[in-house]
Amino acid sequence: MKVLLVEDNERMAQFVLKGLAESGHSADHAANGRDGMSLAGGERYDAIVLDRMLPGDVDGLAIIESLRHAGRRTPILILSALSEVDERIRGLRAGGDDYLTKPFAFGELLARLDALTRRSQAGGVQTQLTVADLHIDLLTRTATRGDRAIALQPREFKLLEYLMRHADQVVTRTMLLENVWDYHFDPQTNLIDVHISKLRQKIDADFERSLLRTVRNAGYTLTSHD
Amino acid sequence: MRALRSSALRLAVGYISLGLAALALFAAPLWYAWRVTVEDGRAEVLQADAQRLADVFTRDGAQGLISYIDARVGLQIAHERLLLLADSQLQPLAGNLTAWPANVPTLPGFYTIRVDLGGHGTDVALVHTRLPDGYHLLVGRDIARYLPLERRFWYALGGAVAILSVFGALGGILIRRALMARIHVIGQTVSAIMQGDLTHRLPTQHAGDELNTLAQTINRMLSQIEQLVHGVRNVSNAIAHDLRTPLAELRARLEELSLTRPSPERSFAEIEAAVADVDSVISIFNALLRLAEIDSGMRRSGFVPVDIAEVATAAVDFYQPAAELKGVTLTLRAVPAPVRGDPVLLAQAFGNLIDNALKYTPAQGHIEVSVIAGGGGVQIAVADSGPGIADADKDKVIERFYRGDVSRGTPGVGLGLSLVEAVARLHGSALQLQDNAPGLRACMRLGHDTRPIASPASAAAPQPGELQHEPVYL
Repeated sequence: MKVLLVEDNERMAQFVLKGLAESGHSADHAANGRDGMSLAGGERYDAIVLDRMLPGDVDGLAIIESLRHAGRRTPILILSALSEVDERIRGLRAGGDDYLTKPFAFGELLARLDALTRRSQAGGVQTQLTVADLHIDLLTRTATRGDRAIALQPREFKLLEYLMRHADQVVTRTMLLENVWDYHFDPQTNLIDVHISKLRQKIDADFERSLLRTVRNAGYTLTSHD
Repeated sequence: MRALRSSALRLAVGYISLGLAALALFAAPLWYAWRVTVEDGRAEVLQADAQRLADVFTRDGAQGLISYIDARVGLQIAHERLLLLADSQLQPLAGNLTAWPANVPTLPGFYTIRVDLGGHGTDVALVHTRLPDGYHLLVGRDIARYLPLERRFWYALGGAVAILSVFGALGGILIRRALMARIHVIGQTVSAIMQGDLTHRLPTQHAGDELNTLAQTINRMLSQIEQLVHGVRNVSNAIAHDLRTPLAELRARLEELSLTRPSPERSFAEIEAAVADVDSVISIFNALLRLAEIDSGMRRSGFVPVDIAEVATAAVDFYQPAAELKGVTLTLRAVPAPVRGDPVLLAQAFGNLIDNALKYTPAQGHIEVSVIAGGGGVQIAVADSGPGIADADKDKVIERFYRGDVSRGTPGVGLGLSLVEAVARLHGSALQLQDNAPGLRACMRLGHDTRPIASPASAAAPQPGELQHEPVYL
């Protein structure tokens, strides 16, 4: 994918650019709001990674607002050193698609970018999801693998649904916390791992091929193929 | 000139001027009315008198008038009424004046002049009439007896002005002195506060007085400031104290790495461990920032209707697998309980309480989360069967960075309960730690929300993920 990074901190920018390049993505970099605004307005990007606070008179929120005003639907991931919940809400209200607080692990950024770009490609309302031989019905809220029904608790179902919607992508623990539990804080324990291992017990334990895999230093991924 | 700049004195001067202006406005018409009425009346009476005498002249001729005047003069006791009939040469013919007064004009009319009356000058009002055949008639009246009255009026006015000025000035000085005394006290207290002792408060007196109201407001502000400063001090102390340890470990790890230059495999492992160290420092920072955010009270603007039972249910559900893993039973007893609050913070408070209970409750233990309505409020409690906390330590636990027993090596930094306490305070409540015999029972009371309930999620932020919030199905 092609990403625009608007970030004034040189070191942080190099870190992100290098990471994106190593993951096989191309990226443009703007070091201030004005350049960011003109690049975002001129070129086509698959996603924009935007620092919330930029030097000069054009800050991150202003860029988002003018892009959205011009009808551009490019997914935007906001980076910010401001961790207050209110700031997050403001960023999302302005038209941002996701909000990541600095400092962050690169894996987290990449996983979120991945989720954003794929989401914008997928369209329509799905009532059924299938990954390999795992199948869930969102209306009846039932899950089957192969020809065997799997009994899931409501929250487990929601967790599995999120993983299936992001099949073959890395999903981080924070993404799961925010999207499955709606928890916008760090519970400081590895509870997500416990939930995942319970889910894994149910969907993978009796099958030859494991679908739910742990990605080291990043999170989890539900794989549709080997 | 400092006194002139005093607001009390300016006020007094203003009031005095206003009083004087009012007095002048009152006295001027009175004076005018007095002059007009008295003089007009006097002129009318004298004119009528002169007319009567002229009628006598017309009827009885000069001789008749002379005898008439003589009769009148003879009857008169005082020299209050002046009468004089003179011929065309101004030679007196009859009356009680021995000669034509030198300063009476020869033209007829009404005059108020000073005439010489038997050796002494007197103010008189007189009417000069020309009679046929060149006779002159003077009818006058001594007005000296009105002068004391006039003088009294002026004295009274002067007295009023003097009293007004003196009392006004005196009042101004007294008010200024009283104000200065109180302002001096306020100034001294504020100076003491500025020097860093935030425990000082302005003296307050009997209620109702404006300065007192101001002092009370300022005292409330000072309490708020003291609390905030106290919070900041605590946090900075805590940062200095508690961040030093992980940072020292991190430093040692990196230094050792750069000195010993081990094999790449070991280096990578060490680097990963260093990143984990940094992460733990960051998580402490995040917790501190969150605490500061809550302490500032700003979050109160984000209060929405929340069903506490839903928040509790979600939290219990979230921690259930961890409890199972540890062999602890985690149960929930909740009734719908609408409150106004911050759903994110309330969720975090529940999380921290359950997390704390899980840390200290041994296997086969029990944790009960309860949400009980009653008494016009909601009672939230997390009770465990762990070792509990000694009464003496209960206050300390809530203090930032305090950990019950560090030697036990339980993970996490001692910020969990202080965050819960801060959340409780933000919601107008307080965290209470009670004995669960055995174990700890942490609880707080929240006031009921009378407004309709909305699900906590729908009131929160727009979500980035594509999963829309389902109605709660737990």
